Amino acid sequence: MDENLKIVGKRVIRSDSYAKVTGGALYTADLKLPGMLYAKVLRSPYPHAKILNIDVSKALKVPGVKAAISGFDAYGVKWGVFRYTQDHAMLPTDKVRYIGEDVAAVAAVDEESAIEALSLIKVEYEPLEAVFDPVEAMKDTAPQIHEQYKNNINIHIHIEVGDVDKAMAKAYIVREDTFKAKGEAYAMMEPYAVVASYANGYLDLWMPNAGPHVRAKALSNLLKLPLNRVRVRHINSGGAFGGRSEVAPGDLVASLLSIKSGRPVKLVLTREENAMCSRQVHDIIATVKTGMKKDGTIVAKEYKTIYDGGAYSSTGPIATSIPYYVYEECYRLPNVRYDGYRVFTNKGIRGMYGCHGRAFLAGNEAQMDLMAKELGLDPVEVRLKNGLTAGELTATKSKIISCGLKDTIIQAAEKSDFKKKWKKHTRNKGIGMGCVAIMCGFPMGFRSGSSCYVKINDDGQVTLITGMVDNGQGNESLAVQVASEVLGIPMDDINLVNADTEVTNLDPGSYSQAAAYVGANAVKAACEDARKKIIAIASKKLGVPEEEIDLKDRVAYSVKTPDKRMPISWITREAFFKGEPIVGTGSFFPDIDLEREWVSKPEGQMAGTYSFGTSVAEIEIDEETGKIKVPKFIAAHDCGRPINPMAVEGQMEGSVGQAGIATIFEGNMWYKGFLLNPDLLEYKVPLACDMPDIETIIVSSNDPKGPFGAKEGGLTIRMNAYSAIACAFTNATGMLFEELPLTPDNVLKLLEKNKGGKR
Amino acid sequence: MKTIKVMLNVNNEKVTLQVKPYETLLETLRERLSLTGAKESCSLGSCGACTVLVNGTPMRSCLILTPEVEGASITTIEGLKNGEKLHPLQQAFMEKGAVQCGFCTSGMILTAKALLDRNKKPEKRDIVKTMSSNICRCTGYKKIIEAVEETSKK
Amino acid sequence: MILPKFDYKKARTIEEALELYNKHDGNAFYLAGGTDLVPLIKLRLLQPKVIIDLKGIDGLKDIKKINNSLVVGPNITLFELKQNPFIKDYFPCLFESLEATSCKTLQMRGTIGGNILQNTRCLQYNKSLEWRTARGFCLKMGGKVCNVVPNSKSCFSNYCGDNAPSLMTIDAKAKLVSAKGERTVRLEKLFSEDGRSPFTIKPGEILKEIIIPLKKTKGAYEKLTVRGSIDYPLVGVAVTVKKDAAVVAVTGIGPSPHLYEIKEINEKSINEVADWAYEDARPVLNAVLTPLYRKKMVPVLIKRAFKRIGAGGGR
Ligand SMILES: Cc1cc2nc3c(=O)[nH]c(=O)nc-3n(C[C@H](O)[C@H](O)[C@H](O)COP(=O)(O)OP(=O)(O)OC[C@H]3O[C@@H](n4cnc5c(N)ncnc54)[C@H](O)[C@@H]3O)c2cc1C
Ligand code: SF4
Ligand code: FES
Ligand code: FES
Repeated sequence: MDENLKIVGKRVIRSDSYAKVTGGALYTADLKLPGMLYAKVLRSPYPHAKILNIDVSKALKVPGVKAAISGFDAYGVKWGVFRYTQDHAMLPTDKVRYIGEDVAAVAAVDEESAIEALSLIKVEYEPLEAVFDPVEAMKDTAPQIHEQYKNNINIHIHIEVGDVDKAMAKAYIVREDTFKAKGEAYAMMEPYAVVASYANGYLDLWMPNAGPHVRAKALSNLLKLPLNRVRVRHINSGGAFGGRSEVAPGDLVASLLSIKSGRPVKLVLTREENAMCSRQVHDIIATVKTGMKKDGTIVAKEYKTIYDGGAYSSTGPIATSIPYYVYEECYRLPNVRYDGYRVFTNKGIRGMYGCHGRAFLAGNEAQMDLMAKELGLDPVEVRLKNGLTAGELTATKSKIISCGLKDTIIQAAEKSDFKKKWKKHTRNKGIGMGCVAIMCGFPMGFRSGSSCYVKINDDGQVTLITGMVDNGQGNESLAVQVASEVLGIPMDDINLVNADTEVTNLDPGSYSQAAAYVGANAVKAACEDARKKIIAIASKKLGVPEEEIDLKDRVAYSVKTPDKRMPISWITREAFFKGEPIVGTGSFFPDIDLEREWVSKPEGQMAGTYSFGTSVAEIEIDEETGKIKVPKFIAAHDCGRPINPMAVEGQMEGSVGQAGIATIFEGNMWYKGFLLNPDLLEYKVPLACDMPDIETIIVSSNDPKGPFGAKEGGLTIRMNAYSAIACAFTNATGMLFEELPLTPDNVLKLLEKNKGGKR
Repeated sequence: MKTIKVMLNVNNEKVTLQVKPYETLLETLRERLSLTGAKESCSLGSCGACTVLVNGTPMRSCLILTPEVEGASITTIEGLKNGEKLHPLQQAFMEKGAVQCGFCTSGMILTAKALLDRNKKPEKRDIVKTMSSNICRCTGYKKIIEAVEETSKK
Repeated sequence: MILPKFDYKKARTIEEALELYNKHDGNAFYLAGGTDLVPLIKLRLLQPKVIIDLKGIDGLKDIKKINNSLVVGPNITLFELKQNPFIKDYFPCLFESLEATSCKTLQMRGTIGGNILQNTRCLQYNKSLEWRTARGFCLKMGGKVCNVVPNSKSCFSNYCGDNAPSLMTIDAKAKLVSAKGERTVRLEKLFSEDGRSPFTIKPGEILKEIIIPLKKTKGAYEKLTVRGSIDYPLVGVAVTVKKDAAVVAVTGIGPSPHLYEIKEINEKSINEVADWAYEDARPVLNAVLTPLYRKKMVPVLIKRAFKRIGAGGGR
């Protein structure tokens, strides 16, 4: 590993931030194309109903209306991420399955006409019995939401390692608890929007997305258009957090309307629509049974986890697995049985979330602390004892490549004076710790890898072409920074063309923590390819051996005799003279077991590498009101090498809000199939005044294969911040949480129960 | 419905517009004047993404009817630069890493600007309180607060 | 989200505003800061023909000391009012409730008049037309029953204004004006206790002044919310102490604030009022925390407010 890095590891200004602070950055809703129409969607008022008829003819008569469509104008294709989950028509023709489901749509010259036209669409429904609770939905008497999934069980993941029953029987202590959590809202600040423009047989699309290539593929299937005729273009994205991973009904709606009208069509969802009809997060019920030795070693785990999946499969198999995997990638689980059920209910579609799995993960961690306490052990020691180390295999046989878990635990514990505070906490004050590991990329077939092209332009400046997509995390800047390092050319001189299916090559997208590890690795490889070519010419021109040459500040120079030097722009021109302009290509494919399958073969190498993290939270509970305050939060993350530490910190800090404070604030509220808080007022996204004092610790484990040793920037905190809060609650009260979020009413109920229980 | 003639001074430029009586300032800025830096996120006053300055006061433009602000000076994020020179807050937001997805950014910067114009040296408490008018889903606010603090110290 | 069609008129005088209202035969709304009104119109909860902007009426923007009263114009923003030295000195309870109202940016736009006259709220009411149509209209929307409390014929929507309760504890009065003339009522008389139509203000009447007797008081405002800013009160308690007596107002539960008096402050009388207020509170599941919890918080916050007042120099 080259330690003389020039720009990697520095706190650089993100390349995308200038446009964002000046208002110049364009998002989908900002786009205006000539002749553009405005779309509005008619949505299902029923949680479950047969569609008898849809008549859009009257809507078409409204002046200004140029197209009106329903599922009957689509091509009868159902999309699914997996072959076995193809159940989502996006615009249904058989029945509606949740309130707010897209049923029909219009495009008109302005929004007012579109709204008027919607009211003239006639849909005849035959209401069906609906089911909203996943446990109810699994019963034989429950209404079937999809024919092909019996008892509404969409996915069942079964993992069995070792001999759980025997190990449980031999364990010194065993505990079983059930934890619940309400689903969260992604609450990305940008509501979903799409612009579709069909012209000359080509469909161009702009929408916030976390993977343009998968998006285009889905749409080409749904629209029965050849893949090269569907082009998902680059646009800024106002946050995703997992909620933009997949093709959305609106993508199909806008596309169909544009195809019908021959004009560009823009659809922008309202905040309420965004919450009800784009994606939601799974509600979870997790039963966790743990067997432990007297010394705190985990000997067995047995799990039953139920995920409320809403109406369609979405990324079902992945969502049903991930909470478990990020746990087994962190701790040694010699014997384990995991049964994960994703169950259909008549609610909105549930997708993957950056903080997915809080009932399961926080439950595991809080239970572990209670068991540790019973054994007279300290949570830090128990975590260190059970934590995986580099070279070990996870329960399902995935090798840990590099591992800074131990360092994150120790540093976070020291910074927070954890051991002392944990032992000697005062009444209703507590401290807690949560750990987790995250896979950097996971198996996605041939889409698991990324490729990059780079060209050096005539003035020595660079154009970088990569499929990497940015949802706000800073992936674009990351690519530019890596290229700058390799090519010795300042970031300002590097132009980026990215996330445009017409020009860029396949990339796994930004939802599997693959951007740094996979995407940036491909950028690095492409730039190294170009670098070699630059150096070869420089070597000839300067008369120094290639090994002696380095690139820096737009100049190629001899390391031994630095005055032997020439600008890279000269070298570029030289290359043009020779008729061999400098271009580089590179790709990276992570070392993963492609035989591995979420349901049928949950075993083998899961990811190229893993990141690790530890969160520590201190809380204070107001005994009278049940309100929890979080004065202090420490987050330690092993990101491999931080490419831009400032960006990594930003991810960690954001996670403290979105996963940490969310533990006491956030949850979707339902009345039957009606979402009661689909807004930014009653859904409680934390505010500046609600944030703790945050300290971030970056642990550098230098991954052998990561680009400059990098792995992933901050997601671990998104998946352990809630554990830290839940454990602090256990420390403060001696109790486990029952359901998240720990809102004041919930807390007070527990405190009262505790009082009642104790004398 | 008859349109209403409205004169505004937007980012130091006088404009005369014919607007609908039920048109929000956010719509006028975004749709009529192509100033898309102000964002629509909740549209109901809950988030602050649409914040612009009206005569120097931060306001949620999604809740204002354009005819209400007849004659007013409006500052949007596009009007903050002085020629090519960024406003110190814009510079600080970049340097401190206070920008992630950027959707809340214009509202945040303008809210902060109004604070610093009113009070050059606010205490951190005031900064946190003021910035608690706006939602950011990405950053956890730490770097946003730091950027405002840093600017106030200059 | 676009607004439905309506006309906009700016009134220069009260007379002009009243005239405009009359001309549109009741299908008009007065506009102050719009922070309550505009969201309601966006959600199609109100469908006005015309909006009459009162901000151009000069007389509504003054704060004056007249004889022994502070006379506050309804168009004063919460932020301006908060900065008035009388408020902090004389009415700490009001100062605290102003400070606790929504967030700073909204305080700079929202007016005290609009704040007092804001509509009541309910999780099943403040929703889009599409949402509400799917759910079926409840009493407050002209339907037959309440959607939160099945079969109920009354509406349990919550009045969530932070400042009317404080104003009530300091004996504020409202001066209203209509084509028929002026009338002055105690603030509590403005509330109808009917969630469907929470105010007794007559169609077209304009709130012209809020009159507060200028007597120094001690007081505190306790507000329960999930977040530290922006949120409406889930329960709010205003307490003002004058010599040995005290006035308590509870807001956030049900369609109007509840008012209680204590003749002589002592532990027993505080507890009595706390118990009484607890009994009176009838929250239902139409806000984000559970009803039982919100009910329990009423006495807790009352006692807290008293404790804080005591701690701040005592009675
Ligand atoms: C996100 C958000 C959070 C909020 N949080 C809170 C909170 O925590 N606490 C709180 O109390 N409020 C809160 N509010 C409500 C609102 O912002 C304030 O109540 C504000 O003070 C209302 O004043 P306004 O001038 O904007 O009223 P407007 O919307 O202009 O008017 C409100 C009502 O009063 C009527 N009206 C106004 N002036 C007069 C007059 N002179 N005569 C007759 N009728 C009149 C209007 O016709 C209308 O019906 C919040 C609002 C939002 C959007
Ligand atoms: S309490 Fe009942 S009647 Fe009143 S607004 Fe809510 S649902 Fe409607
Ligand atoms: S869009 Fe105006 S406050 Fe949210
Ligand atoms: S940076 Fe994304 S919402 Fe603030």
